[in-house]
Amino acid sequence: MSADLVRVTVDEREVHVPKGTGIVETALAAGIEIPVFCYEPRLGPPVGACRMCLVEVDGMPKLQAGCTLTAQDGMVVRTARTSQQAAVGQNATLEFMLVSHPLDCPVCDKGGECPLQDLTFRYGPGNTRMRFEKTTFEKPITISPAISLDRERCILCYRCTRFSESISEDGQLVFANRGALSVVTTFEDEPYTGPFTGNVTELCPVGALLPTQYRFEARPWEIVNVPTVCGMCPVGCNTNATVREGKVKRILSRNHPEIDEGWICDKGRFGFTHLRSADRIVDPIKRVRLRGFEPVSWPDALDEAERLLRAAEGRIVVALSGSETVEHAYALAKLLRRGLHSHQATLPEPISHALDAYRLPLSAIRDAQVVVVLGDVPVEQRAPIVDLWIKAARRNGAKVLTELDEDAVRGADRAVLIWCGPGGDGGARVAALAERLGLAGKDGCGAFTIPATPNGRGVADAWAAASDEEAPDAETIGLLIVSGDEAAGDPNVRALAERAESVLAVSMFHGLAVGWADLVLPGTSYLERDGTYVNLEGRLQRLRRATSPPGPDELEWISQLASRFGVEVAPYAASVFAEVSAACYGGLSFGEVGEQAPLRVYAGAPAHVEAPPAAEPAAGGLRLVSYKPLFSGPAVERVPELQFQRPQAEVELSREDAQARGIANGQEVRVSSNGTSVSLRARVNKNLRHGVVRIASEHAGGLLGNVEVSA
Amino acid sequence: MSELRDEIEQVRRDYPAAAHSAVLPALRLAQEHYGWLSREAFEEVADALDLTPAYCMSVASFYDMFHLKPVGRHMVEVCTNVCCGLVNAQAVLEAFESELGVGPGETTADGEITLRAVECLGGCSTPTVVAVDRRYRQSVTPEQVPGIVEELRRV
Amino acid sequence: MSEVLVLAGAEESPLRDLAAYREAGGYLQLERARAMSPQAVTQELIESNLRGRGGAFFPMGRKASFIPTPDKVAKPIYLTVNADESEPGTFKDREIMLRVPHRVIEGCLIAAHAIQSKHVYIYVRGEYLAEYESLQAALGQARDAGILADVAIVIHRGAGAYICGEETALLESLEGKRGQPRSKPPFPAISGLYASPTLINNIETITTVPKVLEVGPAAYAEIGAPPDSTGTRVFCLSGNVKRPGAYELPHGITVRHLIEEVGGGVTEGRTLKAVMMGGSSFPVMTPGDLDTKLDADSLGKKGYFIGSGVVSVVDDKTCIVQFALRIAQFYMHESCGKCTPCRVGTRWLVQLLRAVEAGTASEQDLEVLLDVCDRIIGKCLCVLGDSAAMPVASCVTKFRDEFAAHLAQGGCPFGHDSTLDGLFAPVDQHAHVAVEV
Repeated sequence: MSADLVRVTVDEREVHVPKGTGIVETALAAGIEIPVFCYEPRLGPPVGACRMCLVEVDGMPKLQAGCTLTAQDGMVVRTARTSQQAAVGQNATLEFMLVSHPLDCPVCDKGGECPLQDLTFRYGPGNTRMRFEKTTFEKPITISPAISLDRERCILCYRCTRFSESISEDGQLVFANRGALSVVTTFEDEPYTGPFTGNVTELCPVGALLPTQYRFEARPWEIVNVPTVCGMCPVGCNTNATVREGKVKRILSRNHPEIDEGWICDKGRFGFTHLRSADRIVDPIKRVRLRGFEPVSWPDALDEAERLLRAAEGRIVVALSGSETVEHAYALAKLLRRGLHSHQATLPEPISHALDAYRLPLSAIRDAQVVVVLGDVPVEQRAPIVDLWIKAARRNGAKVLTELDEDAVRGADRAVLIWCGPGGDGGARVAALAERLGLAGKDGCGAFTIPATPNGRGVADAWAAASDEEAPDAETIGLLIVSGDEAAGDPNVRALAERAESVLAVSMFHGLAVGWADLVLPGTSYLERDGTYVNLEGRLQRLRRATSPPGPDELEWISQLASRFGVEVAPYAASVFAEVSAACYGGLSFGEVGEQAPLRVYAGAPAHVEAPPAAEPAAGGLRLVSYKPLFSGPAVERVPELQFQRPQAEVELSREDAQARGIANGQEVRVSSNGTSVSLRARVNKNLRHGVVRIASEHAGGLLGNVEVSA
Repeated sequence: MSELRDEIEQVRRDYPAAAHSAVLPALRLAQEHYGWLSREAFEEVADALDLTPAYCMSVASFYDMFHLKPVGRHMVEVCTNVCCGLVNAQAVLEAFESELGVGPGETTADGEITLRAVECLGGCSTPTVVAVDRRYRQSVTPEQVPGIVEELRRV
Repeated sequence: MSEVLVLAGAEESPLRDLAAYREAGGYLQLERARAMSPQAVTQELIESNLRGRGGAFFPMGRKASFIPTPDKVAKPIYLTVNADESEPGTFKDREIMLRVPHRVIEGCLIAAHAIQSKHVYIYVRGEYLAEYESLQAALGQARDAGILADVAIVIHRGAGAYICGEETALLESLEGKRGQPRSKPPFPAISGLYASPTLINNIETITTVPKVLEVGPAAYAEIGAPPDSTGTRVFCLSGNVKRPGAYELPHGITVRHLIEEVGGGVTEGRTLKAVMMGGSSFPVMTPGDLDTKLDADSLGKKGYFIGSGVVSVVDDKTCIVQFALRIAQFYMHESCGKCTPCRVGTRWLVQLLRAVEAGTASEQDLEVLLDVCDRIIGKCLCVLGDSAAMPVASCVTKFRDEFAAHLAQGGCPFGHDSTLDGLFAPVDQHAHVAVEV
């Protein structure tokens, strides 16, 4: 027995656990479940509030809360299984919880997957002795358009408010009043706003906090949870898509302890209803001279696509979104590069392998002593979960810096560099920095870049794997292929389209591509695809089709089209993946990617990275960082429950810069550059660097470069 | 910077280890300033102490002495716990009710006087204890109530 | 009359002036203590067996000895003084702050020296305005006279929450949070205010400290009812008694002596029905036990508690169901809401007692009432739940006939003649709040 282990007896079973292990975990090690409500280790230290986990401990006169008690050598614990006293305690807790809890399980969305229901069934009283008026509240109320609250069902476990206070640190969801009158609430009538609010609906152990989207949508026995990964940002949170009768009804987290720890953002959680958007394109749409645009059949559409591809005579440019699966991107690349010898593709930002020598799981951020976040784009706007890891690091005592402090990095045993912003060169800049600071090969040290796309790296890998050939860029563009909605919405791509003789677009929504493309093929969502994504850690993960797209998916029609050019592309993700994998993922098979993918290290990480030349900082004024907000883009725009989350018309200023200009928080200001000027509300952000101002791109108007802000 | 903000900065210094310890004193100052804890009051305290208004409201609502709704210019608080009750606090409370024409927890229509029943004020040897604008009056009898009310109406 | 220690010099009028306090020997013990090693001061407190006066009766010297020395911890050490006196029937701390504020300060400084703390917070109940002013004035005088030396004393005012008298709730409140108790361990001595070592003492305990040093620990340990209940106590006599008041007397006098000799007996024309003994949080005493001595041991043997030294006389004009109801209403109002049994149980108790009082309850309801008490006691996060259930259960078991009479008569046997009839409870003022938020 190791010196750190202690011997504990739980219900006459002896176990050895590390000293200090919680009794709930200790019992679990002995194969015994201690039921809990408020206990949730991810929320920080236990609070011992609900009293569900009461156990009897030899030598202690009173029952003890198993969640707050820790294992000591020789401890003898009796749970409700062997202790009458503990059984009464547990029964009492449930009886108290049910005193005011409505018996509306048949109409409660939580019914059937409700811990209170389950534990009452197993440990609770069969009858109520409460014959007086229950506590009643107005119900349900919406604490935001996305979340409803039924205060009568609330058992006051404090999970939601602890999440708000100590995980998302937004301090918006709180308890008001005291004692029996305590209620969960937000400030005044303000909605619960922020990237992570939806997590409280999963933390809630009863039907008090529920997603409005799921209200009366399904019962647990008619649903299937499809394990997949989110495709909304480069983190790739592991999720379950709840499907009923072929339709996605909600998205739940699926805890990957290295990636997301079971948290997901509201875009990933609530954004799925874009699948059913009213302007979803379900049939191919072709430009018809004089008659405008009209739906055509798939065979006609493929004929037309073939015609456009041939007519371009190799002068084809494909604008990729970075949200294609590896397989989809590879299929497209194989068709274009091998079938048409066309090698010109664009991605929204540069991709580099430079960081491969500095790979870490995201969870390593939490354990770092120094975290340097460079680039000035708010991390939670690009990769929300990464921000939670940074917050966790700060709570653990890490120094979180937004300016590089080389001595701090060098002096730390565990240091992490994060680039989030323009000019990162796909990670090359931060990799060069990591190399210079000696982070290579140091345990617990590493670097990340936060890409703008969910699968840019995977798409680039696939593109490269399809062919070794290269060809000079053509002078003219015969055909522009716009691959996906992000590309369709990108002004740079629109500019290319102006120069193209014809345009073939793949898009999910009418509003994006119809009107300027000659042929629009219906696009699919990540929830409709099988395949793989490579996330910002460089981790290969598996997407599973949760629901069928309205027509063939990209892989299917590309496969058909490719055969017309003598290129063989299987319409199955597994087969396509095998080809890519042989070239760049070490021959890993599709099945081996795994439901909870490990972070694999692949050969060929560059040992040395040349620092890319830095852009000359413009002189004078404040540097404008205009960023794409989390709650924006084609999917978000189509989700009613997310509209209140769209960014405010604000400009963020550092405290120093605001003070120097006599600007107070909340004040209306003018932001101007080169004759353009925009009126915005000032938000003073103490965490923002001096000399930088931030504006969500949709509010930045024509502002460029350096700006001046005046009251 | 506002006067209230200055005062909050001042009390903050009593808690060098953690500014959030100044929440209670800051809320008290804000309440003195605004008369009750209005939306603006919470926003100002939150801003001064780097907290959210929701947090400040959550804390304030836990404590009896903070008012989340407007109250009268004067406050009459009658102890109705057992020790005063044993010596007829109920009669004192009722005397205030009839004199003011409001029940406990209510404010006179002119917004002048709020009547509240409160738990033990720690004046058990001099029942009934009534806190008038926070100052204790001891051994108050129902007969004295009209005089107290008249006194308040005058100031 | 026996020796007065805590309130010495203030028997007639408050001793608030620094010069007058000095004349009465004030701050001499601080000087003496500062000349001693911290360990030696703690040792004297241990030898005196001075027990906590807030209700838990824990030996103060031992508690102080749990505080790690500064060389063992990287964090500051805090002394926190609990003056959040809110237990119904208790007014001794208020008297102390009003009458001997300098002795409070002196006690703080001696205790701070004993644990080598430079940071003292005195948490004064929010409603105590005059008391706060008295203490603040004394603190100003002491500061101006250089008495504080390098110790910072801050008087922190509460804002109206009984639960903040619970030591960990007090710490939460002092940290600017909702005053909800923490689960223990860790104990405050290891992880208290700002997760630093913290000694928490009741203000009467702290104010006794200079006197312990003055009379000497051995002599102090002889006073009262040794070995456990040493020294004097500022007893809080109230209720239906002729001369209520705060009386400082040695431990070990009988309840009867306090009520009859010191307090002049029960109010004219009435007889004693019960005593709220120790405070509202404990089982009520019945007349047969009046000869019990006021010390922890003697009371404990009969199932009573000395608590905060409360003796409140309940006379025969009082309906015991109304008494129990009003106590239950108090705890329902003051429950912080953190743990389930207390939050829900106190409300249920109020509902059951209301039904009994209204005569609409059944015999079975009485069983449920006792069972709800049972299901609260020993199962909550802190002692507030027990504090609600213990007195209520004691009323039911000790006055079962009176409870039964309510059921039999379909209402209160007193009609509307009970002293507590219709007594309004603040909790009913808030009934609407929850719905409106």
